[in-house]
Amino acid sequence: MIRYLIKNNFKLMFRNTWSVVVMLLGPILVIAVLSSAFSELMKSYEGVDDFAVGYRMEDAVEDAVRFQAVKLAGEENGILFYEYPEGNVKDVMEKNELAGFVEFSEDTYVVYKSADYEVEGITLEYFMNKAMNESVNASLQIQAQDSIVLPVEQLEFMPAVNARDYYGIIYIAYFGCCGMICATGVLSNEKKYGIVRRFQVSNLSETQNYLGKLIPVTLTVAVGMAVSTGITILFYDIHWGKPVLSMLIVFMMIVAANAFGMMLYNISDNLAITIIMLFTIVWFMGFFGGSFETYMFSSMPDMVKHLSPVYHGNRALVELSCMGESDYVASALWYSFAITVICSAIAILAGNIRKRGRV
Amino acid sequence: MEDIILKTVDLTKKYNNKAVVDNLNIEIRKGEIFGLLGPNGAGKSTTMNMICSIVRPTAGKIELLGKNPWKQKKDVIHKIGYIPQELAIHGSLKAWENVELFTSLYGIKGEQLKNAVNDSLEYVGLSERKQEFAKNFSGGMKRRLNIACAIGHNPELLIFDEPTVGIDPQSRNFILDKIKESNKKGATVIYTSHYMEEVEAICTRIAIMDNGKIIACGTSEELKRLVNGSDENITLEEVFLTLTGKKLRDYAE
Ligand SMILES: Nc1ncnc2c1ncn2[C@@H]1O[C@H](COP(=O)(O)OP(=O)(O)OP(=O)(O)O)[C@@H](O)[C@H]1O
Ligand SMILES: [Mg+2]
Repeated sequence: MIRYLIKNNFKLMFRNTWSVVVMLLGPILVIAVLSSAFSELMKSYEGVDDFAVGYRMEDAVEDAVRFQAVKLAGEENGILFYEYPEGNVKDVMEKNELAGFVEFSEDTYVVYKSADYEVEGITLEYFMNKAMNESVNASLQIQAQDSIVLPVEQLEFMPAVNARDYYGIIYIAYFGCCGMICATGVLSNEKKYGIVRRFQVSNLSETQNYLGKLIPVTLTVAVGMAVSTGITILFYDIHWGKPVLSMLIVFMMIVAANAFGMMLYNISDNLAITIIMLFTIVWFMGFFGGSFETYMFSSMPDMVKHLSPVYHGNRALVELSCMGESDYVASALWYSFAITVICSAIAILAGNIRKRGRV
Repeated sequence: MEDIILKTVDLTKKYNNKAVVDNLNIEIRKGEIFGLLGPNGAGKSTTMNMICSIVRPTAGKIELLGKNPWKQKKDVIHKIGYIPQELAIHGSLKAWENVELFTSLYGIKGEQLKNAVNDSLEYVGLSERKQEFAKNFSGGMKRRLNIACAIGHNPELLIFDEPTVGIDPQSRNFILDKIKESNKKGATVIYTSHYMEEVEAICTRIAIMDNGKIIACGTSEELKRLVNGSDENITLEEVFLTLTGKKLRDYAE
């Protein structure tokens, strides 16, 4: 019997034209704006050559040892460090045509960037962030040794993705996570017109009721996203890697976000609260996970990034696009799967409690 | 005993400590068209909602076809057809889609569902317009669709909560005829209204409810006799006003 519920809810969602239009046009517009705004920056990054960077150290012995490792890792990534112990930083940079400068003091460091070397500056900043984190980890592990090898490999793939692909992929995932708005029409009608009552005077179980919404809303969003993906591929030449796997990742993200949204709805029993909370949480997850600032350049601590399910999805999709493989595929899928299972269980439980307590 | 379809014992519902339904005792037998008459706010809908396991009773017992609808819902719920007072239909679904959706909730599927949908629409006279969206229907058509959505699973007990509100005499007569027709085919009916003529025309037994209590119960003749001493020279409306309206005035003094 759930088949007919799914079918009719699906029709209702599709007939709610404005939400479908928002889902379709939203990602297309955002992708158009963002990919053109950032394309120059990321394009030029592809062609970045080796560049020179100055540094200076305030007799911090411990750092000096560690810095040797940082320096080596830099060389491997095309960042050449030269020491300049004296002089005004700005003058030194100009005189020696340095792309950047790092000043180490006792337990911190400052990165200077030059307006003439915008891309190199961002790269340096990202590199330092990465390298210093790694070196702290490494020196904790092997204290006695005087040479440390830092695994700063992430820089290698970074130049390969351009802004179009990056935002073209990530905004499909992001909008997919907001797809719950396609269900708002059905949910508000059910309440407004007392349709919930008909459900109560029937054999419909809470699980069926839940699936009767989760499945059609997921299908609606998936169809919408498939169309916007198709359009963006045609018009912006977005490259997706491993189409089937990528589609699966996006699809699972949509399922997870909808399950999460349905859980919020069954707990709060209030559509406005649900949508506001869902959008806020998705926004933060996107904020941590590279939906706005690219995750490669993001200075967010790795731990925070890794907590965001959106990060795993984004990273898996982007890496699939530019490298054809990604270590994040499994975690992205697992994350979505776990969220779906847990949120569904809570949603059904909450629905049952609400039903029993109904006055 | 066997032919008792519905029995409530001291059924009570309180909102904010005020009893909206107050120790209600009714017994409805198989084959009856039972009219529940009462002014606005008497507690009619609340009573129906408790019977249909929509609103949880504060106290008391309900026995529906020998089962407790709150504890053994699965065993009885498909035997009742509940037509809610408020229109409960999806405007963005076509007439037949609405009926299909709500009929399918009782586990009916496939060919059987198709037939049930057609029969229900036929029953309320909407067959010709089944392809139209419910939101484009007139008030009377929506009312009829509201009924069609609740009868496709052939319930033994039909509960109509003011099904004729805001519709013209033609539609009203149509609906009343249909109710009688269903009753002839074996369905027991509970009919809630505050229109006297309707209730008098179709109901085999009438209960007058006010302030959450049944203040009189019987056939329309019995009720008239109760007030007037004989069933002549008095309309049910006068009975109703005598029992409810005047009582209220008495309270106010
Ligand atoms: N959820 C609720 N919370 C508080 N009070 C309620 C609630 N539902 C109903 N009531 C009150 O219960 C009383 C009875 O309402 P009910 O809907 O049962 O009346 P009714 O007899 O069906 O009236 P009508 O003929 O207008 O439909 C009313 O005074 C109403 O205000
Ligand atoms: Mg009512």
